[in-house]
Amino acid sequence: MKAPVKRKRPFQRRKVCVFCADSGMRINYKDVKTLNHFISERGKILPRRISGNCAKHQRDLTSAIKKARNIALMPFSLFGS
Amino acid sequence: MRRYETIFITHPDLTEEDLSVLHEKLRSIMSSLKGELIKLEDWGPKKLSYAIRKNTRGHYFLLDYLAATDLVRELERNLRLNDRVLKFQTVKISNQVSPEAAQALPAAGPDKKAINVIERSSPSPEPKREEAEPEAFGEEKKNESAS
Repeated sequence: MKAPVKRKRPFQRRKVCVFCADSGMRINYKDVKTLNHFISERGKILPRRISGNCAKHQRDLTSAIKKARNIALMPFSLFGS
Repeated sequence: MRRYETIFITHPDLTEEDLSVLHEKLRSIMSSLKGELIKLEDWGPKKLSYAIRKNTRGHYFLLDYLAATDLVRELERNLRLNDRVLKFQTVKISNQVSPEAAQALPAAGPDKKAINVIERSSPSPEPKREEAEPEAFGEEKKNESAS
């Protein structure tokens, strides 16, 4: 009997955290333009595996988005298209 | 002293007079409890991301100040009691502001300037204000790193 062949994963470019790569970029809950890059169509926060953020920045980003939501700068939910 | 900022959203249809009464109230609370107002920004009427008390629009203001906890409590209590204020949120910016830094800050953006900000906004060029805001924040950060 043959051992099952390991499934080859398609090559994926390793994503780099944009906040680490660009030190000029700051996470701020009032800066909705930047935060909008990190939410899905429905207004959900994108997971790290998709956005490629590092743990530290993902944590800061999450709290910033939640603050922005609380003061109605960002939506809690959007209707999907 | 700690540095806080409070964003509050008022009803969009308030007159200039109503707003100035509200601002005067906030200023008097601030001075009576020994807070220091750094700036009061007027972001103008904006569309809300979700309806608050059936309002889809709201007038945003940002208060940036140095205060102790009792002032924050009093300020929030007043905002809560006011029906014209739809929502507010206070965020602590820094835990400790040394007396020297506290003196330097109002020099950069004094009270008078804050009044100008409000006056300037009355013709309401909305996108302009949005652009100006993050820039101001960037400057603050630079100042912090330099010191």
